[in-house]
Amino acid sequence: MTKTAHAFRLLAAGLLLSAATTAAHAAEDTLVALVPAGPHPYFSAWEQAGKDAAKDFGLEGGDYRVPPKWELSQQNQLLESLVTQGYNGFLVFPGDPVGGNGVVSELVEQGAPVIAGGGCLKEPSDAAFCLGTDTGNSAYIGTQELIKRMGGKGKIAHFAGFLVDPNTQLRIDAVNKAAAETNGAVEVVQVIADIDAPEPAEEKINAYLAAHGNEVDGIVTTAWIPAVVSANALRKMGDKRIKMVGIDHDEVVLQAIKDGFVDGTMLQNPYGQGYIGTFALDRLRSGCTVKEDAPFASTALTDRFIDSGTTFVDASGVDNYVGAMQAITKEIMADFETNYLTCE
Amino acid sequence: MQPASSLPLGQPRSAGSPSFVRAGFLGGNEFGLIVLIVVFATLFTLATKGFASPFNLFTLGRTMGIDILIGFSMMVVIVSGGLNLAVGAIGVCAVMAAGWAMETFGLPWPLGLAVCLLVGAALGAVNGEAIVRSGVHSFIITLATMSIFFGGMVFLSRAEAFRELPPAIAAFGKLRLMGFLSPLLLVAVATALVLGWLYRFTSLGRRMLAAGASPKAAEVSGIRVDRTIVGCHILSGVLAALAGAMLTARHGAAIPSMAGHLGQDWLLPAFLAPVLGGTLLTGGKVSVLGTLLGAMLVSMLTNGLLLLRVGEFWVQAFLGLLLLTAVLLDLGRRRLLARHRIAV
Repeated sequence: MTKTAHAFRLLAAGLLLSAATTAAHAAEDTLVALVPAGPHPYFSAWEQAGKDAAKDFGLEGGDYRVPPKWELSQQNQLLESLVTQGYNGFLVFPGDPVGGNGVVSELVEQGAPVIAGGGCLKEPSDAAFCLGTDTGNSAYIGTQELIKRMGGKGKIAHFAGFLVDPNTQLRIDAVNKAAAETNGAVEVVQVIADIDAPEPAEEKINAYLAAHGNEVDGIVTTAWIPAVVSANALRKMGDKRIKMVGIDHDEVVLQAIKDGFVDGTMLQNPYGQGYIGTFALDRLRSGCTVKEDAPFASTALTDRFIDSGTTFVDASGVDNYVGAMQAITKEIMADFETNYLTCE
Repeated sequence: MQPASSLPLGQPRSAGSPSFVRAGFLGGNEFGLIVLIVVFATLFTLATKGFASPFNLFTLGRTMGIDILIGFSMMVVIVSGGLNLAVGAIGVCAVMAAGWAMETFGLPWPLGLAVCLLVGAALGAVNGEAIVRSGVHSFIITLATMSIFFGGMVFLSRAEAFRELPPAIAAFGKLRLMGFLSPLLLVAVATALVLGWLYRFTSLGRRMLAAGASPKAAEVSGIRVDRTIVGCHILSGVLAALAGAMLTARHGAAIPSMAGHLGQDWLLPAFLAPVLGGTLLTGGKVSVLGTLLGAMLVSMLTNGLLLLRVGEFWVQAFLGLLLLTAVLLDLGRRRLLARHRIAV
C-alpha cells in the first residue's frame, strides 16, 4: 500500500464515526459516479473517497470513472454513457466551466443530481453547488508565503496550468495581486502557462531555469505537474537559494519540502471533495434539498461555492499533512447537512 | 475497387446498374462498414442494458453528427492530396468569432451562423493561399496555422467562453425528434448529400478530384490546380466551422476548449472517418458515404464499449483493435469476392 493510500485509509477511519449517524437515512440504490475531466494525479484520491463514502453511508456504489483523455467531448460521452448504465448521482470536475453545463443539465433532467467537484461550473448551472478549492485565494496565500520566505523582495517566476482553464487566469491574477501589494519590492518576471502536462512542463521549466535561474529569487507553481517538475529541477540544480511554494501533495513535492529544496505547498482536499460530495449526492437523492439561505461563498464562477479547504504546509507540518486534510474534512462534514441541506 | 466519384472526367457513370451494385458497392468499403455497423449494433443491443434506449440513441446520434462533420472537413482536403491539421483550430476560432458577434451585437442565430461559416471559410482560404503561394506541403502550413489561429483566439478571448447566445442554439442541441433522434445527425446527413452531389454531379467536384489524382495532368487539361486547392481548403474551413457550430449547440456556449488544446482533439476523428471510409490519403478518390459510415462506426464502437464497461482506458485500445480487425475483415472480404469474380 502506498503512503498516500494509507493516508486516505486513516482519513476514512476518522470520518467513519460521523458517517454512522447518517447511514440509516441513505438511499440504498444510490450509485454515484465521480468523474474528473481526464487522467490527473490530483483526482486519484476520489477513487478511495467514493468507495469509503459508499461503504460508510450504505450506498449501492461510489465509482471513480475517468475519461481516457482530458477532452471535453470524451467526458461528455462518458457521462452520457454512465446515465445509461444506471448511475444516478454525479460528482463532476467540469472539463470546461461553461461547456460542462450542457451535459450537467441533461443529467439533472434524467433525475440524477450533480455536484461540481474540484472546479466549478459557471452560473447559471443546474449543479446543486460547487465543492472545490478557492483557486484564486489559494494562489494568493501561496504567493504571500513565498514572499515572506524571500524576505519581502525579489523576482518571482510563476508556472501555471492550462490557458483554456479560466482558473489559470484567476491564479495568474492572484499571484500578480500578491506581488503588487509589495509596492514594487516583488516582481513577477515570468509567467509560463499551459504546462500542466509532463512534456511541456519539463521542456519549458528546465529551459527557463537553465537560462534565467540565477535571475529569479522565487518560484510559485499553481498546477500539479509544474510543481513536481520545478521541485525536481531545483533538486537537480542543488539550488536552495531559490525559494519555492508548490501546490498539492505529490510525493516528489513533499519530499523536496522535507529536504529543503521547496519551502512549502498549498494543499487542496481532493479526498474530502470525493467523500463529502458522494455523501451529499445521496442526501439529495434521498429527498433533501439545498438550503436557499445556505452559507455559500462566492467565486468568479459561482455564488454556490463550498470551500473544500486549502492550507499551506511547510517543513514543520509536512509529516502531518494528512491530519490537516482530515481536520478540514471533519470540520465540513460535522455540520454539512445542517448548514447546506433541508431534509424532511 | 474504384468509387464512382473517383472516375476520370467525362467517363460515363454506371450508378444503378447491376455491375455497379456488385463491383462498386458490394466490393467497396461502404458495404463492409454497413455490415459492421449492423453487427455491432446488434451485439451492443443484446449485451448492454441501455444501448437501444431513447436517451442513448439520442446522445449517440448527436455525437455521430458532429464526428461526421469533422470527418468531412478533413476529407475534402485529403481529396486534393493535402491535409488540414488546423480543422479543430478553425472550428473553434469560427464559433468563438460568432459567439463574440452574437453576444456583443445581439445578432440572431442565423447571422451568427453566417459569421461562423464566413470565418471558417476565411481561415480555410488563408491555409489554401499559404500552401499554394509557398509551395510548402499542407502538413507544415496547417501545423503552423493551427498554433497561429488557436493562439490568436486565446489571446483575443482570454480563453473566456461566450454563453449569452440565442436560446434557440442550445434548444437545437437538446432537441429530440421522435424522442430519440438528434437533428445534428440530420444536419450531417444533409451535408453528406450536398457533398455527394458536389463530387458526383458538378465540374467543381470533378476538378477537385482531378487535382488530387494528378496535379500535373489536371493542369495540362486546363484545370487551375492552385485555385482548386484553395477551394478545397475553403470548403474544409466551412465544414470545420459547421462542426464547431454543432458542438456549440451541443454545449449551449462557444467555448475555447471545445476541441482541446490547439484543436487537436479533432484530429483522430478527422482522419479515422475518411480513411475508414475509403478516401485515399494520396488524393483523387473520395467516398462521402464511406466517411459518414466510418464516423458512425467509430462513434458507435466508443459508445458500446463504454456501456460494456470494458474500462475507459481500454476503450482506446479496443477501438484500435476493432478497427484493425474491421480493416482486415474488409480486405479478406474483397479478396474473397475477387476470387469468385464478383467484384473487379
